[in-house]
Amino acid sequence: MKRQVPLALCFLFGIAMIFTQFSPHSYSQDVYKEVINWGLIISPFALVLAVVTLIQTHATRIRLRTEHWQYSLIVFAGMIVMVLFGVPDGPQNPIVVWLYDNVQVPMDATMFSLLAFFIASAAFRAFRARAFEATLLLITAMFVMIGNVPIGDLVWNKLIFWIPGADNPESWVNSTADGASWFRQWILDIPNTAARRGIILGVSLGVISQSIRIILGIERSYLGGGD
Amino acid sequence: MLEKFMNMDRRIIFILVALVVIIPTLIPIRLPITVSEPTQKLYDFIEELPSGSTIMMAFDYGPSSLAEPEPMAKAVMQHCFSKGVKVIGMTLYPNTPTLADKLMRKIAAENNAVYGEDYVFLGYRPGALQVILGMGTDISSVFETDYQKTPITEISMMENITNYDQIDLLLDLASGSSTETWIIYANTRYGLKIAAGVTAVIIAQMYPYLQSGQLIGLMPGYLGAAQYEKLLNAHGDGTVGLNTASFAHLLIIVLVILGNVAFFIHRRREA
Repeated sequence: MKRQVPLALCFLFGIAMIFTQFSPHSYSQDVYKEVINWGLIISPFALVLAVVTLIQTHATRIRLRTEHWQYSLIVFAGMIVMVLFGVPDGPQNPIVVWLYDNVQVPMDATMFSLLAFFIASAAFRAFRARAFEATLLLITAMFVMIGNVPIGDLVWNKLIFWIPGADNPESWVNSTADGASWFRQWILDIPNTAARRGIILGVSLGVISQSIRIILGIERSYLGGGD
Repeated sequence: MLEKFMNMDRRIIFILVALVVIIPTLIPIRLPITVSEPTQKLYDFIEELPSGSTIMMAFDYGPSSLAEPEPMAKAVMQHCFSKGVKVIGMTLYPNTPTLADKLMRKIAAENNAVYGEDYVFLGYRPGALQVILGMGTDISSVFETDYQKTPITEISMMENITNYDQIDLLLDLASGSSTETWIIYANTRYGLKIAAGVTAVIIAQMYPYLQSGQLIGLMPGYLGAAQYEKLLNAHGDGTVGLNTASFAHLLIIVLVILGNVAFFIHRRREA
């Protein structure tokens, strides 16, 4: 029963939702709206599940005194404070807003900003033209980077100025002005789009085949192990 | 000497990064900005909307990445309010409502826009997919109230807005994969026109949708914000941010070139 009921529900709702996509009949559309409403009701339970998992994980860390277990206390402290002030009044509570503006936003922004420092350091140490593929990646990345900012064209235009004939407005050299942004755009428009489209098609076909397997009950891993 | 350079203390690089970020922020340099076609298309679309039209803005980014989408949001909202285009704000991210609400109020105050008449912020509901699909049939079934807990049936701006049929454009300001979800479920299922303003790091993912016409316009991070500001003739955070990003990019490129030069000299010596 533990397996048959979920499999039957999955089949029933899977087929029903596919059917509603192709039938404009009012009854079909009513079923579609109703299922979406059910989904909206069920979705918040995912948050409850997330909170329970968070509590379990950090409680275990504190109990077992694993490395850096003290940080789990901070997790609980933060969660309790936000729940205490946030649940009765909602997120508009002045204390919640103050904590959000003065703790969460600066901390999140700081964490993300640190990436710039580490990326620069890693780029200097690890981004090497060791092989043909690495060289290609390096050149492409450099053009996309420099073409993404206006200083790229500024530097490019200064460099082509040194090519003989650049002072002649009719020269071919002048037609290559703003070459950094042009080349970046070409990379994004042509090779990037082609590669991304291939990935999207592959992933989409995979999703379709996996969905059919789940609806038909062939793929059952989502039910979890055991019986 | 070469070995020493290749194993340079990373704190020197950190100081260099700090300098190229701090100096252009404190001393603004006006770099020439060329408006790209995807940004121009978004601007033109909004420019051609008649007064009283409605666009929906999805603030799908968190505090960690607000530096890039926020200037884009500011520029587009400024454009909308100046044109009399109404703005509905919402988010698929649980930790964004406070941020988005504050931003909308700030830009609205600067442009004399009135809450409930010119703009409204709906807030957040869990379940991104169900929210997108649900709003396609009935917005009030997903958001019974706005962020301030006012029933949306009592908001004058929402009187004639039931679902996506009354919304002229959805602008997704994203730092993740939300734009693709909007395209798949709101554009394909309901025909909602979609544009995006995304962080530069995910811009490459958006090009197939731009080429297929599923995205009517696209703003690439700071560059997009600065381009939009240029079109509005109002230089703001996007232009400042782009200047900073310019020098940071340049530093990384110089470091990569120097690192490779040192690597090749070292390899030749060893051979």
